[in-house]
Amino acid sequence: MPSKSVGAEYIKGLWEENPVFRQLLGMCPILAVTNAVINGIAMGLATYFVLILSSVVVSSIKKLIPSQVRIASYIVIIATFVTIADRFMAAFFPPISKSLGPYIPLIVVNCIILGRQEAFSSKNSVGRSLVDALGMSTGFILALLVLSSIREILGMGTFLGHQVMGAWFKPWIIMILPAGAFITLGILLAVALVIESETKKRKN
Amino acid sequence: MTNNRFILKSSPHFKGKDSVPKIMYAVIISLIPAIAASFYFFRIRALLIYLLSVSACLITEAVFLKARKKPMHSLWDGSAIITGLLLAMTLPPSLSLEIVVIGAVVSITLGKHVFGGLGDNIFNPALVGRAFLQVAFPVAMTTWIPPVTNQINTATYATPLGNLKFQAAAAQGALTPLKDLFWGNIGGCLGETSAVALLLGAAFLLYKRAIDWRIPVGIISILTVFTGIFWLTGPDKYASPAFHFLAGGLIIGAFFMATDMVTSPISPLGAWIYALGIGLLIGIIRLFGGFPEGVMFSILLMNTFVPLINRYTRPRILGERSTH
Amino acid sequence: MNLSARMIVVLTAVGLISGSLMAVVGMLTKDRIALNRQQEIEAAILEVVPGTDTSEELFTEKNFTIYGGKNRDGNLIGYAVYTSGTGFQDIISLMFGTDPNITKINALSILEQKETPGLGAKITDKELFLRFWDNKNAGSALSLRKPAVRSQDELAANEVNTITGATISSDKVLSIVNQSLEKLKQIKQAGKLISEDNDAE
Repeated sequence: MPSKSVGAEYIKGLWEENPVFRQLLGMCPILAVTNAVINGIAMGLATYFVLILSSVVVSSIKKLIPSQVRIASYIVIIATFVTIADRFMAAFFPPISKSLGPYIPLIVVNCIILGRQEAFSSKNSVGRSLVDALGMSTGFILALLVLSSIREILGMGTFLGHQVMGAWFKPWIIMILPAGAFITLGILLAVALVIESETKKRKN
Repeated sequence: MTNNRFILKSSPHFKGKDSVPKIMYAVIISLIPAIAASFYFFRIRALLIYLLSVSACLITEAVFLKARKKPMHSLWDGSAIITGLLLAMTLPPSLSLEIVVIGAVVSITLGKHVFGGLGDNIFNPALVGRAFLQVAFPVAMTTWIPPVTNQINTATYATPLGNLKFQAAAAQGALTPLKDLFWGNIGGCLGETSAVALLLGAAFLLYKRAIDWRIPVGIISILTVFTGIFWLTGPDKYASPAFHFLAGGLIIGAFFMATDMVTSPISPLGAWIYALGIGLLIGIIRLFGGFPEGVMFSILLMNTFVPLINRYTRPRILGERSTH
Repeated sequence: MNLSARMIVVLTAVGLISGSLMAVVGMLTKDRIALNRQQEIEAAILEVVPGTDTSEELFTEKNFTIYGGKNRDGNLIGYAVYTSGTGFQDIISLMFGTDPNITKINALSILEQKETPGLGAKITDKELFLRFWDNKNAGSALSLRKPAVRSQDELAANEVNTITGATISSDKVLSIVNQSLEKLKQIKQAGKLISEDNDAE
């Protein structure tokens, strides 16, 4: 069923089918770990790793898995890569692993990953699944970056730990708390909707 | 008007010649005594905060009306001015001015226009702005200065409720005297300190029937009962109901904020339920919560229940049969 | 192969492969993770018992460990106590150091906390909080100075500063330290601080 070019398959994950802004998936990590840019990047890379490997594995063994047990198999495959990512971070990046806490293991239940296996990798070739996974995880990283930049700059006056706001700036502590995540995400979703409807209007 | 059951009500439930601006301007007039009191107690700082808050609210409102292609004359329906005034009245006098502006912008944006503007907002906009500031700038929002008329030489100054909660003032007999609470010669938010000025305004509102009397009466009675029970069981640990009535933001909250037309229930029964909820929550937060004051959170919490309350307390339409 | 047999085979195979993969990764990273933890503890000991060259565990129970810090000559120069307790939000793990006679607290270090960012989380701030714990009299329980003062000189020898706006978190840290200090003294008096190294004391 290849209907799109490979390029389009990649690009769709960035905006048109962006997992966060358009599909509203992966809300738990997007809300929980975006209080600092470094956490956002770490979460993004871990998801990148898990999504790509799971997609490749699932699409290559899709014919072997009976459909009745597909979800169970996907979850085991995803959990394996998540555990690898978690242990790896704890071993080589202990401070980041500490600040992300339980959210790395929780990638297992990130709907973006299971969703892509079910919706895409289980029906497409290995190559296409890889491109799709690359696009989706890049879209996810972009969303994490946007959200965490806004929250860190407003909430702490810093970007990646460097002071970017002048001494006059009083940090908005609400932005690094969960409430700030919901407010920022809500505003970003509204902006995404406006952009989408404006571009549609222009096309017509 | 003899039998309430035959009146079909829907929001906004004004009757007769009353219009939105008319009610709104009655509210503004009723706030004048309390605003005057805050000028007296906090002088130039009060003036600056009121001016900034109101103008920032008006500008934000204008931007949104323009962006959403709404008629510009609704800028002057008074609702944005009230939001600005009420927000300013709930801010500490020592607050930096840019924080005031942030609060005003948030009030109008997140409190009002994200829901669709006046009439569609779920929460009292001024309280949304204040709640945002409370969480965003917790230190600045809990740093108090004594009024100009009551200069005490201390580095940090606490509100009467803060004294009660954090310094065990009831046990040491160091509670702020009721007389000071009544006149307003105490630390606290700009417009909440003077009970007498607020009550004057409230009397005017009740006389004009611009607010539903059930809401303040319900809030104050349940809080009196709740705090009274604890006071009787342990007067050295708890403050008296009179203290709880006069201190903090109870009066401004009960008369001016909980009664907001848009965000309070329509039916009389609904108003009672809503008021009892607020009063009880205030009592629980003040006595057992982490914060000394709970008026703002209580009203916001009960605001979320208003659609539900309205649904279950809708008066039956003439001839309608129970569907149960 | 019929369907149920196939399901069983596939799930077993997937489970076996992932299980062995995880086992391999676990083994490869285990030492490294333990090392990270040990380095963290050692860095904290050095901070609260300055001049420590080697340290050893003298007493340990759940969430409470006493380390002895020794200088280059092998003399005991102080105790470092690793402990934890409930904060405003979640568990706070910390370490403080004393001199060998437990008459003064050298310094305090917060290892893990999940207090409110911007408020309670300031307990990790050297300038605002931790520096007021340096060289405190440990003869009796410490007390909290409210409202906060600006300089160390304004505090009594057994007084520590609060954080403005985060009294509860400051208070929680204080009570964790006071309890553990008392416990340290009792354990030392009972002679339960046992060094495996016999020539140490």
